[in-house]
Amino acid sequence: MFDAPSQLPGQISMQRSHGEAAVAFAQAEAGARLTGLRQRGSAKALLPRVRGVPEVVFLNTSGGLTSGDTLSYAIDIEGGARVVATTQAAERAYRAEAGPADVRVAHRVGPGGWLDWLPQETILFDRANLRRQTRIDLAPDAGCLLLEAVVLGRAAMGEQVETLQFSDIREVYRAQKPVFIEPLMLNSDILQRRGNPALLSGARAFATLALIAPGAEDALEPARRALGEAGVEGAASAFDGKLVLRLLAADGWPLRRQILKLMDVLRRGAPPPRVWQL
Amino acid sequence: MAMIIRMITGTTTITTIPMAEADDLALLRLVQWLSPAFPTGAFAYSHGLEQAIASGDVRDEEGFAAWLADILDYGAGWNDAVLLACGLRGEPLDALADLARALAGSAERLRETTEQGSAFGRALAEMTGRKAAASEPLPVALARSGRELGLPVERIIAVFLHSFASNLVSAGVRFIPLGQSAGQRVLAEQHLRIAGIAARAASAGRGDLASSAFRAEMQAMAHETLDVRIFKT
Repeated sequence: MFDAPSQLPGQISMQRSHGEAAVAFAQAEAGARLTGLRQRGSAKALLPRVRGVPEVVFLNTSGGLTSGDTLSYAIDIEGGARVVATTQAAERAYRAEAGPADVRVAHRVGPGGWLDWLPQETILFDRANLRRQTRIDLAPDAGCLLLEAVVLGRAAMGEQVETLQFSDIREVYRAQKPVFIEPLMLNSDILQRRGNPALLSGARAFATLALIAPGAEDALEPARRALGEAGVEGAASAFDGKLVLRLLAADGWPLRRQILKLMDVLRRGAPPPRVWQL
Repeated sequence: MAMIIRMITGTTTITTIPMAEADDLALLRLVQWLSPAFPTGAFAYSHGLEQAIASGDVRDEEGFAAWLADILDYGAGWNDAVLLACGLRGEPLDALADLARALAGSAERLRETTEQGSAFGRALAEMTGRKAAASEPLPVALARSGRELGLPVERIIAVFLHSFASNLVSAGVRFIPLGQSAGQRVLAEQHLRIAGIAARAASAGRGDLASSAFRAEMQAMAHETLDVRIFKT
């Protein structure tokens, strides 16, 4: 389960955790059908019994990420199936003095298919070092809803993140062409300027939602009307087959409330995944 | 001394000019393309500055300098510089244009870069009689022509960034408003930053693209619903 220890000269050797979970679906008459499931190491894919659109809940049993850890999640959707996927809990990136933790998310949505990729937030602790790449490949007529929420320390615990290396690339491709690329990056220098109005304006929680599908632009007005949650600054824009929203908040809780409101609008009233309702 | 041999077709004249002069001529071409007089319509795009002013985020020289510095370091300054570098170094321009479009964070960001890129290509085509390339984002359009200049990549990037910053200073001076000297002070303060970005971007690749001016992207979105707008973006 845990890999061979890795260490720098003179350092205590630390165990690393590695995990991979991959799930595949195809469409059958009765609805989407599981066609593949692979789990290795610390990663698990849970499939709660739900009616209607199947749900996948990814879980990192190692309890968090630090230097040298690797984690990968993948969903493959064929035959026009619809799937909702999320994570069991917030991902935590802890102090990492010996290099980055590496996370790869790679989903593929075949013709006519749909994926809601709604992971819960990522909490970054002081001195975290996390490199994550999320890539969703869509067939020409497939679509997805993508969410990434990040929280800098926990406000209630008075945690302040001063030292950080965080690279979080969010990419969506359609027929091998890039259609949405957000190479988010935060580091210590930027955090020193966190109060700047062009950067974070002092916010410690922020999120991006992207609806990428033919006709996504039609959701702009309903999405804008759903903004305005207390304590959250939000903005939306529709262009080029996309609806993109960005949110900023002082804390993870108002951010989550705003995200739930937007999920409701963008998913046309579909209930959020069970793990979001806790 | 290194020489460049320039053939003038249609005659039997062969002219040689010194390399240094050829560089000066190339630099003049670049400066012409990136001057405020070149018809890209740059003055119509505030890159979200109009929103930042309207919301009170930028209200004086100091605030404007900080805003501009962040845009250069962490926003379009850095990312357009990287795209330009990739194009100047010979990467396929169609794929680069797709990447640049996918990177645009909002409707106005996309509009600003593609309209200026189209206008740039059209202006060059009209000047030279060559066919304009299909509409492409500004850094890609500039790379397409910039490749022919034979100038160091770093220099082209620096002049491009300076022209971007200078346009925003003009907008800031008129609308914050700032005195002319204050505006020029802000611009002069960015020289070192611009030189640094150009130096790092010159050897950077798409893996170095980094979007960190999160709220600036939101300001660009909010600009779409600003009640009274003078600028297109």
